[in-house]
Amino acid sequence: MSLRRQLTLSLVTILVLFAVNVGTHFWGSFARNESMEAYRESVSAAQLSTEIEQLLEDQRQQVLILATLRETTEDQLERKELRQAEESIGAIGNKIQRLGRLSRGVTEADYDALWESSNQLLKGWLQFYRGYNDMDFDLDMNDPLPFLEVNQRLQSLEQRQAFIASQRANIIDRTIALTDRITVIAFFSSIFLTAILGYYLVSYTNRSLKRLKKGTERIGNGDLNYRINNIDDTGELGDLASAFNDMSDKLRNAIYDVRRARDAADKANAAKSVFLANVSHELRTPLNAIIGYSEMLQDEMGDRGDINREQVQQDLGTIGNSGQQLLTLIDDILDLSKIETGKMSLYCIDFNPADIIHQACDVLSPLLKKNQNELYLESLQQLPNFHSDAAKFRQVFTNLLSNANKFTQQGRISVSARTLSERPHWVEFAVKDTGIGMSDAQIDKVFDAFVQADLSTSANYGGTGLGLAICRNFCELMGGSIRVKSQPGGGSTFTVQLPTDPESAHAIA
Amino acid sequence: MKTAGTVLLVEDNELNRNMMVRRLKRAGLDVLTADNGQQALDTMLSAQPSIVLMDMNLPIMDGWAASRRAKEDDNISHIPIIALTAHATEDHKAYALQAGCDDYATKPVDFPGLLVKIQKLMRS
Repeated sequence: MSLRRQLTLSLVTILVLFAVNVGTHFWGSFARNESMEAYRESVSAAQLSTEIEQLLEDQRQQVLILATLRETTEDQLERKELRQAEESIGAIGNKIQRLGRLSRGVTEADYDALWESSNQLLKGWLQFYRGYNDMDFDLDMNDPLPFLEVNQRLQSLEQRQAFIASQRANIIDRTIALTDRITVIAFFSSIFLTAILGYYLVSYTNRSLKRLKKGTERIGNGDLNYRINNIDDTGELGDLASAFNDMSDKLRNAIYDVRRARDAADKANAAKSVFLANVSHELRTPLNAIIGYSEMLQDEMGDRGDINREQVQQDLGTIGNSGQQLLTLIDDILDLSKIETGKMSLYCIDFNPADIIHQACDVLSPLLKKNQNELYLESLQQLPNFHSDAAKFRQVFTNLLSNANKFTQQGRISVSARTLSERPHWVEFAVKDTGIGMSDAQIDKVFDAFVQADLSTSANYGGTGLGLAICRNFCELMGGSIRVKSQPGGGSTFTVQLPTDPESAHAIA
Repeated sequence: MKTAGTVLLVEDNELNRNMMVRRLKRAGLDVLTADNGQQALDTMLSAQPSIVLMDMNLPIMDGWAASRRAKEDDNISHIPIIALTAHATEDHKAYALQAGCDDYATKPVDFPGLLVKIQKLMRS
């Protein structure tokens, strides 16, 4: 349940308890008033009954005295006395009627009985007074029964009313006790609920905020994999935590992207620096010969004595060759630039591939000797003639052989060829060495321009990392492909597949 | 400028080796040659040259390894070594000095400058 709903529910519960309290109070005071009123009625009825009892007693005494007087003295009532008696009997009747109004409900039956007998008694008394002066009228007032009956009924009504009054007093007590109890229960429930709600709210917000704070600190300190634990938190702060986690994901991804981009840029930059250092090295090697021989000849020309013309001629040849080497290197760089801008094209002529490979081997023989490598040429004689770019074909094999020699010492380098039965007019060449080989990671990058198998390779073996890039591009230009199989320490085999005629190969493709 | 002493030139490129031999001899130095690192160490032990000019990219044993070993061998560690290489970056200079070389010269060689370095190291 969300925090907002929990809060709302708790507040509604407290309000309901409060309303119950107020309602109980009003009901209690209403019930109390009702009972109080009834109680008061009962009390006044009891008082009235006593009063009536007294009046009846007085009246009876008077009647008995008068009756005795009449018998003994033949006393006569004056008009005034008669009226007074009538009035007092009427007053008693009125009081009995008033008592009747107070005796509703449960005491009504008792009252009716009282009413009947008192009516008779009062009527008897009235007759007595009215007939008092008439001596023929027989007035027997000695029968006490009517009076006793009224008296008894009055007392029973009185008892009944007293009983009801005590009952009502009881009800009042009970009502007060009940409302008190309800009020106290509701009050303590409210306090209990409020306390629990307060404790829950404080501990929940405290816990969630602590988690949020910790997460913010951890992520702020660079721990981008940290996530705020909000599994058991379904409230708004839990939502905030998951929004925060989402933000951390996005932030982490963005930072990883930036890092990757920066790493790639750094790598490209490092590769460029290494490439420039290698180009510098490769340019300096022939330049060393050109400048060194020129300065030396200049110095020697200034010396006295004979000039050894043959020696000078040889030295000038060296200068020329070094210049050629320099030119080749610069051409390589330009070739690659041309390939990269898509401006390289093929100049196709008819040639025998074996002849070209032999030429390349001849050029490289001093280097082979230097590294004490043996070269084997296998099954090159049966190859068909090519109609392709002979210069590029030569450069592919010059580069492959020069590479094989560069990474092989006192080993064996072989060039073999075979026609492909499944692809007529295609020839597969293999240049195999027993050199240092490459790992899978190195193989992945080995045909990339400016990248040697690894950056330390150039330091140990020289080279610009252009050779294999040029080979791959030239092979593809001639309609073919190049691939390599190698393992560290187990030598390398470069396999070149070429169509004998790139144009017809393109046409078929 | 004439300088007396024996120089061991370690260089695998024949053309460059011949050129340097002629120029060093013309400057009055005796010159021994080696074309790889192992040969250089052997010659240093047997001939005790006054100074070594060491190319770095060498077959069999490269110039860095040869310099390190020379400096670890008490019999020849006193012989000064000048690294001679076409690697022109600061990093490469640092690699050479770390390997124990006493000085460093880049190719193409500034020959008069190289002679000054040779004289300085031979005197010290």
